[in-house]
Amino acid sequence: MKKYTIHLTVNGEKHTLEVYPNALLLNVIREDIGLTGTKYACGTGQCGACTVEVNGEPVLGCMTLAVAVDGAEIKTIEGLAQPDGTLDPLQEAFLDTNAVQCGFCTSGMILIGKDLLNKNPSPSESEIRNHIKGNLCRCTGYNGITRAILKCSK
Amino acid sequence: MEMNTRIISHEFEYFAPNSIQETLTLLDQHGSEAKIIAGGTDLVSQMKMGKRTPAYIIDIKRIKELQYIAGDMVLKIGAGNNLRGVMNFFLPASVPYAGLYEAIRSIGKTQVLNMATIGGNLCNGSPKADTAPPLLTYDARIKLVSLKGERILALKDFHSGPNRTIMEANELMTEIQLDKLPKGTSSAFEKKARVGADISKITCAVTVVRDGDVCRSCRIALGAAAPVPMRAFQAESMLTGKIMNDALTEETSQQVAQEINPPTVGRTHPEYRRHLAAVMFKDGFRRAWQQAGGGK
Repeated sequence: MKKYTIHLTVNGEKHTLEVYPNALLLNVIREDIGLTGTKYACGTGQCGACTVEVNGEPVLGCMTLAVAVDGAEIKTIEGLAQPDGTLDPLQEAFLDTNAVQCGFCTSGMILIGKDLLNKNPSPSESEIRNHIKGNLCRCTGYNGITRAILKCSK
Repeated sequence: MEMNTRIISHEFEYFAPNSIQETLTLLDQHGSEAKIIAGGTDLVSQMKMGKRTPAYIIDIKRIKELQYIAGDMVLKIGAGNNLRGVMNFFLPASVPYAGLYEAIRSIGKTQVLNMATIGGNLCNGSPKADTAPPLLTYDARIKLVSLKGERILALKDFHSGPNRTIMEANELMTEIQLDKLPKGTSSAFEKKARVGADISKITCAVTVVRDGDVCRSCRIALGAAAPVPMRAFQAESMLTGKIMNDALTEETSQQVAQEINPPTVGRTHPEYRRHLAAVMFKDGFRRAWQQAGGGK
């Protein structure tokens, strides 16, 4: 199978990669680039744990061919904090409201929460619950997660 | 093949054409061995499970020519628009097309709405496609294009069986066309699924044209109720030109339940699907009727 050269800007850093056409964006981010904050869970687009931003919009990394996003700007959970390590206000809020238990859904939850806040800086609780509907948490954490996003709602 | 959702294990060649013309040439060369990918939310999942193993993948996500929504008397929706774009176009839930807005919203998952396209939702051929029932009630037409020319056909003639359509291997769906709906029209969409943001168990879309207490016409379509997304034509005819009352709604709902052809295998019992079809028609009809009457 022929390899393709692709260029990705991940959290502001440029990468040139050689990928097979059947390589998935999630695996390229985790294995080739080495950023393991983005998680593999269901692999069938049901859980949202693999959420990353592609050109500013959240998508499912496990359902996206890496070759299909050649040239894209990608943001993962690692790109949210400041370079000096200062956490994003939403990350702080997740800690404050105990929105993290096992942590497997957390990267996806924070990115989808951030997406909502970027589009609607003052979402209501029901708007939050609707927007995060595609992200599953198996530790019963939805109340904490909703509170965390609500805390950042202006 | 054993299910493995971490990787796509089969090999293929990938093309990312920049125009419709380029796509048609590729389709003409590779035909039945090729599969078009847009959002990939269905296809990638099927490839992971080994259900589809195309030798060539033609990615149409970059083709700007397929991403437009325009028109007055005929609204033309490019097949390459993502679902979020189509949903936002009909925001705030414009009364005549409320059913389509509600159907896309019911898919629920923000990430999927960003990835998946309206053309993909139809071309995938699923009897459960959420956009199909409302589009059927709008008498939508689709445009299929190949190197040999183009054809425009009614959406109701597009699906030919579970996960099958009448589209030829060298064809590309480029556009969905909706006629402007008459004054007094409204529509609604009802969906039953196991949990939020899930695949439908059954769906029902209703579009009514109301004139005071008279139902000028009513169009009813259901998803996941038969091998293909379907219209309930006999039930529709019971309402044409009638003065509405609860008994007539009830009688029509029983006809809707009779008219569906639910699968006998799978986790939902056919009788339960029939029961749901009747209830969902009534709910959808009442909402559409009220909206069409300005809330009355």
